[in-house]
This record gives sequence, C-alpha cells and structure tokens, in this order.
Amino acid sequence: MTVRRLGTCLSAALLVSAVLPVSVRADTIDEKAAVCSSCHGEKGVPTEKNIPIIWGQQEGYLYLQLRDFKKGARKNEIMNGIAESLEKDDMKELAAYFAAKSWPNLDQASASDADVAAAKTANSAVGCSACHLDHFQGTGTVPRLSGQSHEYLTKTLAEFRSGERANNPGMTSLAQATPEPDLKAMEAYLAGL
Amino acid sequence: MKKLVTALLCSAALGMPAVQAQEIKSATKFGDMSTVSQDMLNRAATDSQNFLQTNGDYAQQRFYPNRQINTTNVSKLRPAWIFQTEVKESLETSPIVVNGTMFVTTSFSQVYALNARTGEELWHYVPKMGPITTFCCGPNNRGVAVSDNMVYLGTLDSQLVALDARSGKVMWKTEIADPEEGYSETMAPTVVDNKVLIGTNGGEYGIRGFMKAFDAKTGKLIWTFNTVPENSVGVWAEKDATGKDLHRDIAAEKATLAAMMQPAPGDQKQKSGAVDPAAKVVPVADKTGPAPSTSAAPQPKAAQFYKTLGGGIWQNPAVDLESRRIYFVVGNPSPDLDGSQRPGDNLYTDSLVSLDLDTGKYVCHLQYIPHDVWDFDAVSPPVITKVADKDGKPIKGVLHAGKTGYVYVHDAKDCSLVRYSEPMVPQENMWTLPTKEGVRMLPGANGGVEWSPLATDPNRGLAYAINLHQPMTYQVQNSAYPDGKLWLGGAFKVIPSEEQWGNITAVDYNTGKIRWQVKTPQPMIGGILATAGGLVFAGEGNGLFKAYDSESGSPLWSFQAGAGVNAPPSSYSVEGKQYIVVGAGGNTQLDYKRGNSIIAFTVD
Ligand code: HEC
Ligand code: HEC
Repeated sequence: MTVRRLGTCLSAALLVSAVLPVSVRADTIDEKAAVCSSCHGEKGVPTEKNIPIIWGQQEGYLYLQLRDFKKGARKNEIMNGIAESLEKDDMKELAAYFAAKSWPNLDQASASDADVAAAKTANSAVGCSACHLDHFQGTGTVPRLSGQSHEYLTKTLAEFRSGERANNPGMTSLAQATPEPDLKAMEAYLAGL
Repeated sequence: MKKLVTALLCSAALGMPAVQAQEIKSATKFGDMSTVSQDMLNRAATDSQNFLQTNGDYAQQRFYPNRQINTTNVSKLRPAWIFQTEVKESLETSPIVVNGTMFVTTSFSQVYALNARTGEELWHYVPKMGPITTFCCGPNNRGVAVSDNMVYLGTLDSQLVALDARSGKVMWKTEIADPEEGYSETMAPTVVDNKVLIGTNGGEYGIRGFMKAFDAKTGKLIWTFNTVPENSVGVWAEKDATGKDLHRDIAAEKATLAAMMQPAPGDQKQKSGAVDPAAKVVPVADKTGPAPSTSAAPQPKAAQFYKTLGGGIWQNPAVDLESRRIYFVVGNPSPDLDGSQRPGDNLYTDSLVSLDLDTGKYVCHLQYIPHDVWDFDAVSPPVITKVADKDGKPIKGVLHAGKTGYVYVHDAKDCSLVRYSEPMVPQENMWTLPTKEGVRMLPGANGGVEWSPLATDPNRGLAYAINLHQPMTYQVQNSAYPDGKLWLGGAFKVIPSEEQWGNITAVDYNTGKIRWQVKTPQPMIGGILATAGGLVFAGEGNGLFKAYDSESGSPLWSFQAGAGVNAPPSSYSVEGKQYIVVGAGGNTQLDYKRGNSIIAFTVD
C-alpha cells in the first residue's frame, strides 16, 4: 500500500468516526449504509484494492465481522473505529442490507493453469470447499471467497497465518498448514473465479 | 433453559415470523393416510411397506424386511423415477416413506414431500433461517422424523420445526439453542411417545453438547441431558476402551486442573487485577481480548471449561421401549486437537451413553477414547440387537462403528464392552500425540466409520459398515475460544501423496471377525441398507450406487447416478411394488461431485 493511499483511508476513517453517531441515529438504513460506501464502494466496487467487497457477502459473516471489529477481536484501525458506535441491531441491519445487494464483478484475471492445479491440490488437502462450499460462495457465517479482491485475499490470509487476524483460530491453523506457494495459488484462483 | 415464549421472541428478533398459537391447534385435526401412530413406529422393523424412521426402526437395524427385490432379480433394478431438488449441494438425507408419501431433506434444511410412486412433488418447505448458521462439514441435513400427521426437522440455525405432513405448513417452531454460540442442527430427530429427541452439532465450536426432548404437540422442552457434566474429569484413564495407550501426561493434566480450580486469591496473574470470585463465572465467550496464541498457561476463568467442552450428538438415538432407555453416541471434546485446555477424561465425549427415555436421567456410559486429541469422536448411530456375550449366551447388545475402524459390541444392560471387531482399516501410530509440525496417524480424522449408519442382518449376525482410508497428519495449536466460531485447536490434513480408498466390511458381531470386505476406489461416506432379499445397498463418491450379496459381498448390480451417492438408502413399497431410494447429491466434507437427485429404483 502506498503512503498516499493510507492517507486517504485514514482521513476517511476519521471523517467517518466523527459523523457516525449521527448517521447511526439516522432513520433509514440507506443513510446508515452511506458512510460505508466511501470505502466499500457506491456500487459495491471497493475504492481501494485492499478493501474487501461486502456487497452480496454472506449476512451472518458480515454481522460477525462487525461484532468482532467492535469487540476488538479482529483488529483494523479503520473498521474498529467504525464499528465502535454500532449497536447489535445496527450491525444486524447493516449485514442484512449489504448481503441483499448483488456481488460486483472486479474483472480480475483468471488464474493460470499452474495456479489452478496448485489451488486444487491445496483444497483437496485442507478441504477449503468443505466450509466455503463447492463454488467458494460461502453460506451463513462462512464468507464468499470467489471473486473477492486479490489484494485483500492476500492480505487477510497472510494475517490469518501470522496470527494478526485472530478472530478465527481455525482459519489460522488451516492457513499455517497450507504451504505459502499453495496459498498464493489459491488467492489467484479465488480472485479469478 | 429457554421456554417456548422466549424462543418465539428470539426468532421474531431474528426477523422470522413468530408462529401463531392458533396454528398449533389445527395440528389436532388428524388426517387420514399420512397419520403415523405410535404403534406403527413401534413395529417399523416388520413394516415392509413404509420406511418410518431414519435408521429403519427404533433399534436402528437398517434391515428392511421386504424380499421382493432380492439376489435373483436385483440385476433388473432400474430407476422408477428421478426427482431433482432445487438445491445442488451435498445430500445426506434418509428418505422417510409413509403410505406412499416420501419426505426427503436437502442441504440448508429444506424439506420435500413427494409421491413415492411417481416422484411428483407434493410440497416444498424452505425455512426462513436467521443470519447465523454454522457447520463443520457442509450445510447438510440428514432427514426428518414423522409422527401423527407431523413432520419434524432440525435446521442449520438450530430451530426445531414441526410441519403439517399434508401441507408442509409450520405448526410450531422452537429454538433448540443459540446459533450465535455455535449450535446448529444437521441430524434427523427421533419421535417416540410424544417426545421429539434431538442432539446438537457444534463439537468444532466450543459448545456444551446435549440431548433434548421436546413435546411433539407443542414444542415445549421436556428434558435436557448435558453431554458434558460440570465435573468431566472421570478416572484419568491411560488407555482407550480397547487397551491402547493414549500417551497422556496425567501429572501435567492434574496440575493444569489444580491451577484452574484455584480460588480467586491465587489469581494474581489475572489481568484485571483483584476481582471477586464471581468473575470466574463469566463465560469464556464474554472475554473480549484475544488470548496469547502460544501460551498454554491456564487462565483463571477455568474449571468453567465444561461450558465449551463440545460433545455434540450427530446421529439419532436407538430406542429400547422394553427398558424405556435410549442409546446414543457423543462426539469429540472441543477444541478437537488441543487437550491442554481441558484436563481429565472429558466425560462423556467419545462415549456411548444410555438415558432413561422419560426423564433424561443418566443410566450408563462407556467412553471409547478418554481425552481425545484426534477428533476420533463417536458419530455413527448405535444399533440395538441380540448379540452373543463372552460365554456365547444371547443378550441384548448395542453396536457402534467407530472412527477407529472397530465395530464395538456392548451389553445394553450396563453399556460395558463385550468385544470389538478386527480393525476394518489400517491403524498405524495410534495414539501418537499431535505436534506443531503435524504427525501422521491412521486412520485419518474422518475414520474408519464417519457418521454413516451401520446396517445389520440379524439373521446372519452381520453388521455392515462403510469405511474410509485417508492418511492424515494431526497438528496442534493453542488458542482461546473465539466466541461461537470454529475452534479446532489445530488442523488435520490429508497427505496428498498417499493413496486413499474405502471399503464395505461385513463384521460378525457375535465373534468380532470380519466376514467379507469389498474395497472401493474412494473413501466411503453416506450409509448402507440391508434387506431380507439378501442384499446390501451402498453408494460411492464417484456416483456408483451398488447392490451386493449380503452373505458374500459379491457385487450384483450397479448404477451411475452422475453425482456422489453419499446418503443412506431406504426401501418401501407402494401398491405392492418394492422400491429402493437414495439421494445422489455428493458430499461437501470429502468434496465429492455435487448433484440434486433423489432416485427411486424398482424391478418390473
Ligand atoms: C475508511 C474506509 C472504510 C469505511 C468507511 C468502512 N470500511 Fe469496512 N473495511 C475497510 C477496510 C480497509 C477493511 C479491511 C480490514 C482488514 O483488512 O482487516 C474493511 C472490512 C470490512 C468488513 C470485513 C469484510 C470481510 O470480508 O472480512 C466488513 C463487514 C466491513 N468492513 C463493513 C463495513 C461497514 C458496514 C461500513 C459502514 C458502517 C464500513 N465497513 C465502512 C474500510 C472501510
Ligand atoms: C473448517 C471450515 C473452513 C475451512 C476448511 C476453511 N475455511 Fe476459510 N473461513 C472459514 C470461516 C468460518 C471464515 C470466517 C472467519 C471469521 O469468522 O472471521 C473463513 C474466512 C476465510 C477468509 C477470509 C475472507 C474474508 O472476507 O475476510 C479467507 C480468505 C479464507 N477463509 C480462505 C480459506 C482457504 C484458502 C481455505 C483452505 C486452505 C479455507 N479458507 C478453509 C471456514 C473455513
């Protein structure tokens, strides 16, 4: 991430935390969700490559992430600040709102044959699709991975691996059990689905 | 425990429609042909027309008494109809058939009622689930239970739903447990004497497992048996039920437990400083800060670990109406691979347990693997049948097929182990402890026998089990319970370079000897059915559904279903014609080709 990008993100975050209490008290869900769009995108295409798609993501998963950001169980300066003022009902409402949107297409390149083959081997060893399902579409509290931002997938899997993302030790163990080159292939494969 | 009212409020809060009281009343208008009496359920083992219970009958024998389809004509078996569901995801359903109506379920807890003769859809129930659903091994559902004119279903968001058998309309709905804490349902309930019995998933989630009984008419909770007692320490067993050394460091476990039990004054290390002992009652799940990921040091929260010790129940209990007892098996302790946070035998995980049907009170248990750190839980549903005791005298026995690859034979009276079979799959390195780097052990964590039910032929004294051979490594990693999320305490990993396969094994349960064995190209998961026609039916991940001679294991017929056949088959008859029916939807856990077919076969 470049310094300029970081700057954009942080200032947006500050802006957001300053206005959020007001917006949460806003009547409509559209108003509540408007603050999210500055990063997660007006049409669901995130404004930065390392910001995840949340449009069309699984509802249970979105809710749990907001809950974890609020508790601090998942650490991210921006999102911790944003979730801080959200109440359980707000989080549930936002999760339902974004889950009902349609998943945007980021037009990411399809993975190379070699990456596809390596990804399939990794999947058969650890069974990623046993939880993320056949087409990596996710369900309930298991996130969709297919078509997610490549940079974000890389970042978050690395953070699972290092323990920096500590809100799902199961994923940490699995990411550690998968050799790094296989994970790289998996990221390319998932982004290109 | 939550009362019905609370449960309804909860479901309303989750955005699901609360069920009106009036609707419950209309359940008493009994219908005609779809009504299942208690007498019919009691005599299911000799019913050659219906298939009334998940595993055939209350004893769970999976022995179908109709012999119209048999060794002489099975080669002419052909599809009578194929029904395609709207859900293309793993199918684990045991079709239930009542007077020509079939009930099947799909992944995501959906139910279909079909005309069992034509495959025509009568109704389709799609539950409105809350946002929080969890699972370990796919969004599966293993089927419904029927009684009177009701159909009972457990859903992925941990609700128990009663449907009108004729319309699929919801009669009542009640929350079994809070899905946000990691509870969910994939098993089929069992109904007996106006009680709906159901366990829970969540052994991979730091839950406290249970078997519950609900009133079949109203959905009110009657009793709860916690599969993990507050004191789960047990006898510090050094060996498993078959005498193999578990390599436990009992002294270290005892020290951990002692540290956990220390009163508040000894808790100087506690981060929040001096707090009153009541602070210890705060559930682990309420702790906000992430725990250090490597430290194995016990937290003063402790001795509370029974609340997150797991012990799910994945499959139906066997019911003995004579003694009014039920028998079921309890799953693994949580976290699966990390024993450092749960000193003791972790009762009653990995055990056969018997309860009084009417009160839910404990009667007896036998623990197969005390302090399991390999996810070698007991999952395949137990079978009640007559067995030879050690002196060859016939007694009432209970069979269970383990992930270990053994068929265990118990005395139903006190749960004690009478014998265990020859191993059905290779066992190597048992019980070597999981390491940080990962250590190889056989069988793999799926078994042996997974959740797949046994079939038996009481006349031949044989139990039929389907097995996996899947070499794996076991890796341990310490972490605190992440609040309703997956909690394995490490990872199991298939060793990609090693060959995997499966088998069907016929075990003589009166001697423990293997009678015959058929190797299959892939590990087996799903289930098996034996019939009085001298046949057993079982499907494979590659789409083949096959019939074998139950005496010899000779393959007699096979059919390519186009998707993994990984569900237990059932049989029934309509207008005097016998059918065999099975789901072909593949399997999420083993990643077998998904499909959406329910296929009924018959001979002309
Ligand atoms: C200032 C930019 C910004 C704003 C505004 C913002 N987010 Fe985020 N969001 C992020 C970033 C960056 C991440 C990735 C965090 C990480 O890498 O761990 C993220 C992650 C998330 C995630 C986790 C998604 C996943 O796949 O794990 C959710 C859910 C989420 N945001 C919801 C929201 C909601 C709802 C709002 C509005 C209330 C919002 N965000 C506003 C930047 C933002
Ligand atoms: C046992 C179930 C399970 C398996 C197996 C599994 N995952 Fe996950 N995964 C999850 C769950 C649940 C989450 C949500 C984490 C959370 O609650 O924060 C997740 C989260 C993720 C995320 C983060 C998505 C986001 O939007 O932030 C990625 C990426 C991911 N998994 C990749 C993988 C890969 C690659 C594999 C195989 C190597 C894998 N998973 C195997 C259950 C699983």
